[in-house]
Amino acid sequence: MPDKQTVLLPAENDPTISFRLWFKVGSQNDPVGKEGLANLTSMMLAEGATESRSYDEIVEALYPLAASYHANTHVEQSIFYGRVHSDKLDKYYDLYLDALLNPAFVKEDLDRLKSRVLNYLKNTLRYSSDEELGKAALYNFVYNGTPYGHIPEGTVSSIESITVEDVRDFYEKYYTKDNVVIGIGGGFNQSLVLKLQNDLGQLPDGKSNVIATPSPDEITGKELILVEKDANATAISIGFPIDILRGSREWYALALANSWFGEHRNSSSHLYQVIREARGLNYGDYSYIERYPNGGSRSKPPQNVSLRQQMFEIWIRPVPNENGHFALRAAIRELEQLVENGLTEEQFQLTQEFFSKYVLHYAPTTMARLGYALDDEFYGISGSHLENLRTIIPELTREEVNQAIRQHLQYKNMKIAMVVPDAEQLKDALINEEQSPIEYSTPKDESVYEEDEKIQSYPLDISADDVTITKVEEMFE
Amino acid sequence: MRTLLVSIFGLFGILLTGVGMNQAVSADIFPYDYEVRTLDNGLKYFVIPMESPGLVSYFSVVRTGSRDEYEPGHSGFAHLFEHMMFRGTKNFPGEVYDRMVTQIGADGNAYTTDDYTLYYMTFSASDLEKVVHLESDRFQNLEYSEAEFQTETGAVYGEYRKGRTNPWSVLYEEIYDMAYDEHTYQHTTIGFEEDIKAMPTMYDYSLSFFNRYYKPENVVLMVVGDVSPEQVSPLVKTYYGEWESGYEKPKIKDEPPQQEPRSTEVDYSGRTLPIIDIAYKGPAFPENVKEMAAISLFGEMAFGENSTLYKQLVLQEQKVQFVAPSFDNNRDPGLLHIFSMVKDEEDVEYVREQILATVNTYRETFVDESELTELKSRQKYQFLLDLDTPSNVAHNLARFVALTGGVQIVNEYYSALERVTPRDILEVVNTYFVETNRNELVLKGAQQ
Repeated sequence: MPDKQTVLLPAENDPTISFRLWFKVGSQNDPVGKEGLANLTSMMLAEGATESRSYDEIVEALYPLAASYHANTHVEQSIFYGRVHSDKLDKYYDLYLDALLNPAFVKEDLDRLKSRVLNYLKNTLRYSSDEELGKAALYNFVYNGTPYGHIPEGTVSSIESITVEDVRDFYEKYYTKDNVVIGIGGGFNQSLVLKLQNDLGQLPDGKSNVIATPSPDEITGKELILVEKDANATAISIGFPIDILRGSREWYALALANSWFGEHRNSSSHLYQVIREARGLNYGDYSYIERYPNGGSRSKPPQNVSLRQQMFEIWIRPVPNENGHFALRAAIRELEQLVENGLTEEQFQLTQEFFSKYVLHYAPTTMARLGYALDDEFYGISGSHLENLRTIIPELTREEVNQAIRQHLQYKNMKIAMVVPDAEQLKDALINEEQSPIEYSTPKDESVYEEDEKIQSYPLDISADDVTITKVEEMFE
Repeated sequence: MRTLLVSIFGLFGILLTGVGMNQAVSADIFPYDYEVRTLDNGLKYFVIPMESPGLVSYFSVVRTGSRDEYEPGHSGFAHLFEHMMFRGTKNFPGEVYDRMVTQIGADGNAYTTDDYTLYYMTFSASDLEKVVHLESDRFQNLEYSEAEFQTETGAVYGEYRKGRTNPWSVLYEEIYDMAYDEHTYQHTTIGFEEDIKAMPTMYDYSLSFFNRYYKPENVVLMVVGDVSPEQVSPLVKTYYGEWESGYEKPKIKDEPPQQEPRSTEVDYSGRTLPIIDIAYKGPAFPENVKEMAAISLFGEMAFGENSTLYKQLVLQEQKVQFVAPSFDNNRDPGLLHIFSMVKDEEDVEYVREQILATVNTYRETFVDESELTELKSRQKYQFLLDLDTPSNVAHNLARFVALTGGVQIVNEYYSALERVTPRDILEVVNTYFVETNRNELVLKGAQQ
C-alpha cells in the first residue's frame, strides 16, 4: 500500500519503537443519540477481545513484554498507539495488529467499558473534579448544536443505548485503510514500515463522510451557564471561537501573546500573577488558543487533539465561593487590557525570550514528536510545527503580536461556565452588577487594594436572559 | 535468568551509544555512567551525562517531606515551603527572580511528598551556569516578607480545597490518620485542615523550618543530560561552596507496632462509587531492600492487571472498576495499599473478602516460578523504558535518591529483585500482610 500516508521519525539510538496510528474519526462522527460511540469504539480496540484471544489472554501476553497499546479519541481524531522495546517487537506487533484488525467486540467487554464511562460521567465529572466539569460545560455550551457540541465521552443516556452492533458498524465504517495515517518512530527498520503498510491493507476500503467545519452560533454579549452543585469552591471557564489555526505566522504571533497572558501551568502567566500570585485566590490561572484536554494532569500541550475550529479559552482554577464574581471580573478586565493595550515592549521581549526557549520542552520523546508530526498532516503544515515554533517565534515583532491580539481577541462577546453552590444568588449579583469586594486575611501591597477597587465594580454587562442555570445532575444526562 | 541478562546487556549497548561505558562487566541495571561528588559542607551531587541534544535537567532533592513535620500543629509545612521557594531571595527579589527564570524558559516545577521535596528544571544547556547560580541562591538566601508568606498560605488553602473535591484526597487523609498514632505519617503531605488554616500566623516558624532542613547535608543535586562532570563541578563548588552546614535531624517518634486490625468507614459528601483501601504497614527502605522488592512483585502478582483476582473482579464478574496495589518505598514503615472501586455498594463486603482471601492464598502457597521470572523481566523493562529523557531519568531516581542519598540503591534494588524467590514472597506476605498489621477503609459517596 505505497499510497498510504506515513510519517516516519527514525531515531537510531532509541532502543524502543513507537507506533501511532491516526484514524480520521472522532466524537464529531458520533451518530445523534449515540454520543460517545467513537470513544467507546476505540476503547474496545484497546481493551477488548480479538477473534483469537480473550481480553485477559491479551493482557497476559502483553505482560512480560512490559508493553501495552492504548487508544485516545478526541473530537476529530482517534489514535491507536503503543511503544515497545525492540527486543520484544515481533510478539508485540502481532498483538497490536490483531487488536486493530480482528476485534471481536464482545458484549462483556462493552459492558465493562460502558460502566467505566458511566462512572466517569455520573461520578467523576459531576462530583469530583469541578474544574473539568466547568471546562466540559463550556465546550458543550460554545459548540451547542454542532458536531463539536458534546464531549467525547458522550452522555449517560447515549452511552446506555450503545450496543455491540453499534460499535461494530462504527468500526467498519471508519476504521478503513483510506482513513488512516501511519506514524512510526524510534529504532525501527524499513521492513517494519512496509510490513505495517501492507498489513493495514487488510482494513476495508472507504472514506468517511466529510463533516463540515462547525460554525458555532455567534455570541452576543456574555452568555453564562451556571452549573449548580454543592461546590466548596467556584470553578470558572471562559471562551469564544477564534478563526485561526496553527501554521500561519499570525498564529505564532497570537501564541506568543497567549503565552504572556496565560502560559499553561506556568507562573510567568499574567493571569496567574494577578489572581494567584498577588491575591492568593487559587491554584492557577491560564489561557489557551488551542484545545487543551486534561490540563490538570499535564504540563505541556497534548498531541492529536487537533480541531479545525479552535477557541480562545481562559481557565480559572477554583476560587473561594465568595470570590467567584470578583475572579470573573478580574480575568475579563485583564483580557480587556490586553486587547486595548497589547503588550509593552518589555513584556513582548521577555515573553519572546521565554517562549522561544520554552517550546524546546514541548516534545521530549519520540512518541510526542510523532504526535506532532501527525498533527502537521492534520493542519497541512509543510515543514513542521515544532520547527516553526523554534524559528518563527524569535523573528516576530511586537507589532505583529499586537496586531494578532487586535485581530483575534476581544472581551465583549464570550461564553462563561461556572460551577457554583448558589446559582440564583450569583445570577442576581451578576445581572445587577453588584459590587464584589474582596477581603484578605493578610495585608497586601497598596497597589493591590487600588486595583481591587476597580475590579470589584468592573461592569460585566450581563442580562438575565443570558444566564442559564443547570443542576449538576442534568449535565451530560 | 541468563536470557534476561543478555537482553539487558543488549539494551545497554543500544542505549549507551555515545556514552562512556564500563557497564558490560557488571549486571547493574542503571544504564548510564555517572559521577558522584560531595562538597566539604556535605552537599552531594550526581552528574549523569546522556544523549539529549542541548537539554539539561537540574534536580534538587531535599530529603525532607511531610514526614519531618514532627511538631504538633505544624503539618503541611514542607509543602508550604515548596511554595515559598518560588518567592525570591535577598539577591533576587521576587520580580527579579521571576524575570530571570522566565528568561531561561525552563520547564520547571516542584512537588512535595511524604519523604522528600523535589525542585526541578529542564533547560537549554547554554543556561547551565545561570541555573546553578539561581538555584544555589534560593537554597541559601531565600527571603520573603510576612505578607508574601500569608498570601501563599492562601494559595495552599486553595490547593487543599481543590483536593477535597476528590474522594482520594479524603481517603488518604482518613486512612493515615487512623493507621498512625505517633509517627508523622499520620498526616498527609498537604496537612491537616486546621493546621493549614492556622498557617498565616506562623511566619516565624516557617523561617526556622528553612534553617533546620534546607541545609547542604540534607540536599542532593542531580544534573542529567547534555553535560559533563567537568562542566558541572566548578560551578557547584563556586555557587554552593559557601553554604553553611547545620542540618538538624527531625525528632520523629517511632510508630509502635500495631497490635490489632483497624478499620473505618468514611462518608464522602460528593458522589463516588465506593472505594476500598486495605493497607498494611510495610518495612522501612532501604534497610529492607530485598523485602521491598519481594513486596513489589507480590503486589503485581496478586493484584496487578494480570492477576487472577483482577481477571475475576474486573473482567469476569465486572463487580469493580479496578483493583490495584500501591506499594511505595518509604523511609520509615509506610502503608502498602490495595485499592478497589466497587460498582455496587452491595458488593463491598464480597470484594473485601476476595482481597483478603487472595492475601491468605499467597500466605500459604508459593508463587509460580515461571510467572515470577516473567514479572521480573517486565519490571526491569518498564524501568528501563522510562529512562528516555533527562527529566524522566531524574524523576525515576528521585525517590531512591531521597530515601538513601544515592543512586547505587537502584542497582541494589533491581539486583535484589532478580534474586527474589517464591519463598521470599511467601515470607514477606507472612511478615507484613497479617491481620494485626492491617488498616481498612471503606469510603462511600452521597446517595444518588
